[in-house]
Amino acid sequence: MDIDDILREVDPTFDFVPGETRDLQALTRAWVAERSAPELLDWPPDGLFERINDRIKQQIERVEEMTGDMDPKTNFALIVIQTELERFKYLVRSYLRARIAKIDKHTLHYLSSPALRARLSETEQAYATRHQALLHNHYLSSFLSSFPQSLQNLNDQAGNISMIDTPDLETAVFIRLLTDTLVEGRGTDSDGGMDGKIGDIVILRWSDAKPLVDSGRAEVI
Amino acid sequence: MALPLPTGLVPTEVAFLCEMEMVTIVPRQRLESITLLSGKTPALRPPHRAELPLWLALLLKKQRRANIVPPPWLLPASLQDLVNQETNIDPEAFSPPPPPPMRSDGYGAAHSYTQHSTNPADVVLAPPFLPSCTQGAPSGYLPYHWLEMAETLLAHAADDIPGAADARALLRDLQEVRAAKMRGSTRHLEGGGGVLNLRGVGAMELAESRGFVLGIVDGVRKLGASVEASRREEEEEEREGGGGGGDSDDEMEF
Repeated sequence: MDIDDILREVDPTFDFVPGETRDLQALTRAWVAERSAPELLDWPPDGLFERINDRIKQQIERVEEMTGDMDPKTNFALIVIQTELERFKYLVRSYLRARIAKIDKHTLHYLSSPALRARLSETEQAYATRHQALLHNHYLSSFLSSFPQSLQNLNDQAGNISMIDTPDLETAVFIRLLTDTLVEGRGTDSDGGMDGKIGDIVILRWSDAKPLVDSGRAEVI
Repeated sequence: MALPLPTGLVPTEVAFLCEMEMVTIVPRQRLESITLLSGKTPALRPPHRAELPLWLALLLKKQRRANIVPPPWLLPASLQDLVNQETNIDPEAFSPPPPPPMRSDGYGAAHSYTQHSTNPADVVLAPPFLPSCTQGAPSGYLPYHWLEMAETLLAHAADDIPGAADARALLRDLQEVRAAKMRGSTRHLEGGGGVLNLRGVGAMELAESRGFVLGIVDGVRKLGASVEASRREEEEEEREGGGGGGDSDDEMEF
């Protein structure tokens, strides 16, 4: 908490939301989006994840200190703290596992260009690179080595058809509008558009929804 | 290690999300403020009401340390209005979601709870972080997590809800009426019009029919892929030839 937070807390013109609560909201939104979007989303910026991990670590230390204390009153507080800790750990774990599932599915795709690589955190990049190398080595030793040299690659672009599997960006998703905005979507028979109101829940293709989500005008649900 | 679940939240995850909703409680015991990862809980002083996330309220309720105040929309009279709204007034669309909550700024002006235009760093709030299930929530509107919230409260805190039996029966009616609407909405999906608005739908209803609805949309898209591609080509040609005067031309040109 810095001086701005303290000032805002006493200023009635602001509805004060503490930083911890805002982080929980941001993490929850990131988790829901990652679970519902067909492709890997950007790693959250401004150190959100590191902050939350640090706090979880501190809380675990606090629990360890408190367990020595057998006073029934603090005992109940301990139960509450541990319950919340488990909820946080579940969120973090589920978020990371959802990302790993997507990375596993399209490893080469996410490693193929710098823009896509930038979506991965450092650990995820290390994981994806090593995982892919292990896999390719295994393929080489078990069967690829008996193929002709020219057929041993896993990323051929021969005949303008790329071997690399990519996620289907046209998959339909549900989004909720966070402001009044124009929503445009492409369809089979015709292209549609509508004046969306705040709170509207819309089905459309992910490729049409992405600009709205990226600009913060909508969230994936 | 990778998550084996399908894309999109499954019902248990929706229930988890619902447990973050704030509810109003009446504490029966004093409880000092606890520093949690999501911030400090308010100090509980009976009989002063306090707002807590649902998971904590349920924990207190189970230990008989508090009673839960049901949200106004869960009372039988409000549910009766909603059933009427869904069946008679508007048998096509879902009933509207609650209006964005407002709050006072202390100078007499009201501000939307969801928007912090003064500070762009703040996230725009959305369920489950809006106070849509507290004592102050409006009656006659179903919040996003209505079904899970009602089920949970009726299962664990039925003695705190006046007319729990009536509420249960009315909820079942609501659920059926709305499930029929959800199924009916697939009629609009066949056309492949690009966007479909489901304003007012609930989280659990989405989770239940997510696979079905998205399966239809994606199936229609794949079946119509070649039609769509040729339509786009035609439009492209028309635009190049006609100089943007085509009547089906609804896209901006540069």
